[in-house]
Amino acid sequence: MNESCRVETVRDGDLAVVRTEGYINREGGEEIERCIQTLLEGGVSRIVLNLEKTKIVNSIGISILIEVLERMMERKGALAFCRLTPTIDKTFRIMGLAQYAGIHATEEEARSALSAIA
Amino acid sequence: MIPASRGGASALVPRVREILGALGEDAGSDDVLLARIEEAASSAPDGDVAAWIAARLLSRNLKDARFELKERVLELESLYDVGLSIGGQLDLESLCDEILLRSISLTNSRSGALHLFEGGALVLSRGFGGALLSPEDAVRLNVDAEGEINNSARDAPTCGVTLSGCEKCLVVPIQSETRRLGVLAVADKETRDGTIRDFFPADARLLALFANQAATAIETARLHREAVEKERMDRELEVAAAIQREILPREVPDIPGLALAAENRSTRQVGGDYFDFFPLSGDRFAFVVADVSGKGVPAALLVSTLASALHLQIEDARTPAELVERVHRHLFRFSRARKFVTLFFGLFHVRTGELQYVSAGHNPALIARAGGDLEWLHATGRPVGIFEDSRWSEARTMLEAGDRLCVYTDGITEAQNPMQEEFGTERLAAYFSRVADLPIRDAAARLFGEILLFAGSAAQYDDQTLLLLARRDLRTDEPAQSL
Repeated sequence: MNESCRVETVRDGDLAVVRTEGYINREGGEEIERCIQTLLEGGVSRIVLNLEKTKIVNSIGISILIEVLERMMERKGALAFCRLTPTIDKTFRIMGLAQYAGIHATEEEARSALSAIA
Repeated sequence: MIPASRGGASALVPRVREILGALGEDAGSDDVLLARIEEAASSAPDGDVAAWIAARLLSRNLKDARFELKERVLELESLYDVGLSIGGQLDLESLCDEILLRSISLTNSRSGALHLFEGGALVLSRGFGGALLSPEDAVRLNVDAEGEINNSARDAPTCGVTLSGCEKCLVVPIQSETRRLGVLAVADKETRDGTIRDFFPADARLLALFANQAATAIETARLHREAVEKERMDRELEVAAAIQREILPREVPDIPGLALAAENRSTRQVGGDYFDFFPLSGDRFAFVVADVSGKGVPAALLVSTLASALHLQIEDARTPAELVERVHRHLFRFSRARKFVTLFFGLFHVRTGELQYVSAGHNPALIARAGGDLEWLHATGRPVGIFEDSRWSEARTMLEAGDRLCVYTDGITEAQNPMQEEFGTERLAAYFSRVADLPIRDAAARLFGEILLFAGSAAQYDDQTLLLLARRDLRTDEPAQSL
């Protein structure tokens, strides 16, 4: 199994898709945080986080994602998750991430949901 | 909005530290909070900041508590979900993956491994996060801690095990009720600031619960594999039994001057027993009793090959020995698995009472003379199908009126009772001495009853076949019997 987290970004105007691969732990979470911070500073306000290639996330990774979410909310931005494994989907719902960010089956659905936000 | 102190941002820091100290908080560990307070206070109007700081800390602590509570809920949900997975899917690899990933995730570990015993050795079954717990480590732990791996995390909030490839490691056994199945290991519990910390007793308890679930999954998968294998074997045995039913003669031929009886009893593992009759011209009558090696469909197919070879060659062979040699060459050529066959082939001259026979490694046939004497007809050569250049000699004897010939397979003499004693040739001989006055059909049927009585509750694993032949006299003169 692949363990270290890699992040790939595709930007489309003020919307960006961030695709992760690997373990979202402290290291992986911080990699995502850095990437999103850069996007926010570059004018992106809506972000789709595609976790299709991530099979495992721990609570430190989750706490970092929550901090990222809080930062985005402070900036009036929006974030949506997509392509979660059933285990990660359930984890995000229990840990409260779903209260602040939509969870979608596909990247297209997540993009549509964010595009609909004024 | 934060109320600021009169001294400005620089004067605020000692005051904040003082308040935090009074609240039992370590200000030094919370530079981020301090920085935010300084930033906010620099532009705030005068006022006491204590209440604000206390409120922020309370809010943060409540947030942390809520997060921890959610983590506990997540742990319970994970255990529940894995339990459901064990009940719902029988793919052991997926279950092991799920258990390992959840173990790593819920203990905030960086890596982990699940090792299982295979053929007596502990081998890596699933791994995540790089080299952790090499097979050598796993074996060492297993040897050092028979029954319980020494993991001090059970007793104190430190992990006593340090292994190659990691700083700190937590290892628990995967144990069924009766045996050690493997080990589950996680390593390097991480913190938000990037350091590695000791595992907690709660981590050990959680990991032990996952290990228990892994044990259940492994045992369930093993039982499932066994059930599937049994089902496959049952199907195969049905096929083998069907083949055997098709090959064995349905009726005993009616030969003037002869009394015949033959029976085959299949047992739990349908074997390769075979018997057949060959009425020939010139008052001659041939018969065979054979036992091929192996069980199930392969054995049944070899019986089929043997039967075909005998029926094809019997008209052309000049002697029983030549027939057996022809059959041997045929089987040797077409049986790739080097299966072998023991067989007793007899050619009986009805008018004269002479019996020519070849016994290819077969159990000794028994002649119960009308006068009470017993004679054994021993093998005249090797089993068929093993050595390419095998040859068989032929033997002759005479059957007088009232003499009985008993040819059988080893399923009869090797039938076992619960004490694992075999029925044996002595009991067989004693039986035929006792039933000399019975018609041979009854003598054959009662022998199987005798074996059943002897075996009691012990399961029998080899087919039992018996062929009885007698020259007709007044006592045994009876019509041919249907099988």
